[in-house]
Amino acid sequence: MKRISRRAILRGAAGAAIALPWLEAMSPRRARAAASPRRFIVMFSPNGTLPTQWTPTGTETSFTLSPILMPLAPHQADIVVVEGLLQEGGGGDGHQNGIGGMLTGSPLNPGPFAGVGAPPAGWATGPSIDQRIAQALAAPTPYQSLELGVQVGAADNWGRMIYQAANQPLPPTDDPAQVYASVFSDLHTDPVALAHLRARRKSILDAVGGEYTRIGGQLGSADKQRLDAHLTAVREIETRLTTSLVDNNPSCHDPTVTAVAAQENDSFPAVGSLQMDLLTMALACDLTRVASMQWSRSVSQVRFTWLNVPDGHHDLSHRSDDDSDAVNKLTLINTWYAQQMADLITRLKNTPDGAGGTLFDNSLILWSNELAKGNTHSRQDAPYVLAGNAGGGLRTGRFVSYEGQGLPHNNMMVSILNALDIPDTTFGEADWCTGPLTGLL
Amino acid sequence: MSTKLTRFATQSSLLVATALALGGCSGKASGGSGTTTQASPLCAADPGPAPLRRITRFEYGRTIADLTGVDPSVAQTLPPDEETMDFDDIAAAYSVSALHADRYLEVAEQAAATLTADVAGMTVLAGCDPTGGDATCVSAFVTAFGRRAWRRALTDDEAAAMLQVYTATADPTPTDGLAGVVATMLQAPQFLYRPEPGAAGAGASQPVDGYALATRLAYLLTGAGPDATLLAAAEAGQLATEAGLLAETDRLLADPGASDLFVHFATEWWEIEPVATMDKDESLYPAWTDSTPAALAEETALFLADAWQNGPTLATLLTSPVTFADASLASYYGLPAPSGDGYQRIALDPTRAAGMLTQGSFLAVHAKANQTSPVLRGKFVRAQLFCTPPPPPPPTIVVSPPVVDPRLPTRQRFAQHTSDPFCASCHVLMDPIGFAFENYDPIGRWRDTDADVPVDATGSLTGTDVDADLNGVPSLAARLAGSAEVGTCAATQWFRYAFGRSEQTSGDLCAIGALASTLSGPGGDFKQMVRQTVRMAAFRNLPPEAP
Repeated sequence: MKRISRRAILRGAAGAAIALPWLEAMSPRRARAAASPRRFIVMFSPNGTLPTQWTPTGTETSFTLSPILMPLAPHQADIVVVEGLLQEGGGGDGHQNGIGGMLTGSPLNPGPFAGVGAPPAGWATGPSIDQRIAQALAAPTPYQSLELGVQVGAADNWGRMIYQAANQPLPPTDDPAQVYASVFSDLHTDPVALAHLRARRKSILDAVGGEYTRIGGQLGSADKQRLDAHLTAVREIETRLTTSLVDNNPSCHDPTVTAVAAQENDSFPAVGSLQMDLLTMALACDLTRVASMQWSRSVSQVRFTWLNVPDGHHDLSHRSDDDSDAVNKLTLINTWYAQQMADLITRLKNTPDGAGGTLFDNSLILWSNELAKGNTHSRQDAPYVLAGNAGGGLRTGRFVSYEGQGLPHNNMMVSILNALDIPDTTFGEADWCTGPLTGLL
Repeated sequence: MSTKLTRFATQSSLLVATALALGGCSGKASGGSGTTTQASPLCAADPGPAPLRRITRFEYGRTIADLTGVDPSVAQTLPPDEETMDFDDIAAAYSVSALHADRYLEVAEQAAATLTADVAGMTVLAGCDPTGGDATCVSAFVTAFGRRAWRRALTDDEAAAMLQVYTATADPTPTDGLAGVVATMLQAPQFLYRPEPGAAGAGASQPVDGYALATRLAYLLTGAGPDATLLAAAEAGQLATEAGLLAETDRLLADPGASDLFVHFATEWWEIEPVATMDKDESLYPAWTDSTPAALAEETALFLADAWQNGPTLATLLTSPVTFADASLASYYGLPAPSGDGYQRIALDPTRAAGMLTQGSFLAVHAKANQTSPVLRGKFVRAQLFCTPPPPPPPTIVVSPPVVDPRLPTRQRFAQHTSDPFCASCHVLMDPIGFAFENYDPIGRWRDTDADVPVDATGSLTGTDVDADLNGVPSLAARLAGSAEVGTCAATQWFRYAFGRSEQTSGDLCAIGALASTLSGPGGDFKQMVRQTVRMAAFRNLPPEAP
């Protein structure tokens, strides 16, 4: 990794400040940065877990991690394990409504994707929690959120968890090389060339937007809606052109990305590791404050050959609870995902924040799964791990059980918003939310 | 380079003719709106909807390569197309995000740079060298490139907007401005989508505008935009008659692009695409290596292209005992190495091989990593060849393939599906078909034994118009090839791909019937069916506007 030169930092598209020496006091952003930007990250792993191997034992503040969560032991003081909630979802089959409702707290619309034993379903009917947070933070960052994937593959509602709005899924990028080339391009482009490129793109995108307006006006309402959605996307990338990267963090580097066959099964760990590096650096460089890390997709058939598990994950997840071979293998798989969560936490802890402390200090990470249990498709007692205190909004080092209280996970989402000082009182489908969880924060 | 120059040269000469034909009306985007039709479109009653189409990644790569000379693989950097009903072009499934817009921008810039580096090509296209910045020539370039990229003449307003882009981006050189125009046009809805503005408030079906019809035809037949000849035909009003439309159809059916399109369609229909990222248990099947997926995909593409070339009947697809292999793939299958380099056409044992049904790609996709799957193979036949998908398992039961046991052959390990009446009620629809494939292992190779006992490939086909006892894939293939239900299902699959939607109305069912009769009737094949598609009201007309 090479430290990017001060000269490579653009402040404002005009580029006049490019060659000036760095003076922290000159940056108007400095004052905001000192107020500790809040950050929110989602990590997803698929196909449910094994409650018996996942659930910790003990009391709220004195608990023993389960076999699956054991990799989080070094961070036990910094996490909150939440169990006993019903992960709401509706429309489509168990995996579809599981991943669709997981972060939106909303059902799926009817639509074109035919699931197993359910009417065909479309996209979710509301935004996901991370997008609500991005909207509320309204951070002056080039990206409002960054969606990273690891072998997510096909574009359908089994593979989408992030929704900007109803019917508006945000696809993750599976290829670290593409993330690097695109998201980090400002860090490795000559500043004069970059200023020129931005001005040029502004002209081009202005005209592109004009054509969407022009043609949309000639079409019927349903078709016009599609072009309007495209126009919104064009306007969003246009906005990025006027939002400059501000280097107020010595941890911000132009990352290096090694070549990897992004869709090859055995590359799964390597791709994930690169994506977590990029995610961490995107936060360090304040390219975004909201990010997601999506490992595969619901119904994932990744084969964990590096753990000597040759079977497809989804096939394994459907085997019986008394099948010790399956239980052993699923424990290995879910423990491996817990290790990834631990590694992500470690990365953030090891990266100083420009405002002092580390990236982790002001972050909140949510690890979730589309199901509680694979072989029943149950969403009752869905497995959640929260990490980080969001700059003081959450008391960590706890195991909080809501067992038997019949509470929806939408309530946890309200609490997460509150932990980030977003004073919402409800989230997602109104019928699935009764307010924040008592005692979570 | 030389091909591109040739293409532009053809177009340039046609442009002259076009300009004459239009007689100064080049500002109007309404090429060939003739209204006289000699033969009425088929199945005109109760037509289905015509949702706005977006060009798929497959189409995008081919189109942008035609226009700029950039490699079509640039499309692979776009977000994947939404797929449903196994097809990548179903309009109801589209979504769009900032990631899409971002990728479209970057690829458009790359393509624009490729085109503008080719001064000779641009000169042929514009009829003058626009890189000097001469206003008249720049305008000629905008008009000429716009007509190709947007598949119709630009309106005056559109041309003016693009000239503004030129002015804003011609910094430091005129070539930068030309690239700015190209990049803009390649992100516009006129390029990425297929807008078909109709007369506002039209209460009845109306013919698709000539340009839009040319676009429909080009994407239907070649998966790319209209070539110069087709655009000229649209402008001359030739597509307004069925005879004119069929003349262009026949010309394009002979184009290599039509073969590519057929390969793409059949690859999606037969669910071959997952082979590209397929992974098998190499401890059990060490012959499966990192290079196997690409080799199997290539084999199938060659088989399909060969079928297209030599008479793509349903029977050929289902029963033809030939394939393609190079020395490495022949060795994988345990076949003698072909004479000659590269992939060669190989005759196979007709008692073993049967068209697509014994392609390694198909067999590997419809199997597990460590064992065959009579369920997946039988389910494919029901769902994709008969269009009668079996009911799914109840969501709460524990479903998983039986654990591989080296002492028990596959069909014995699946015995619970027949011994347990609860399972049997559905699995009787799948497993007895799938058992006929048992001579083919999970990586698509022939096997005589399974778990050290001779393979039992007997099975049965029930509940269809061609019921029979089965023994091996050729016995199944022969029955499928004679099935009217399979013919109708193949036509249904084509209808969905061709129109980018599910069948919904009585007009749609009428169209599927007409397509099936040209596929399965005397002398019928996929080429005839594709040709028949353009005669349908759903193809030639816009539906009445929703009230």
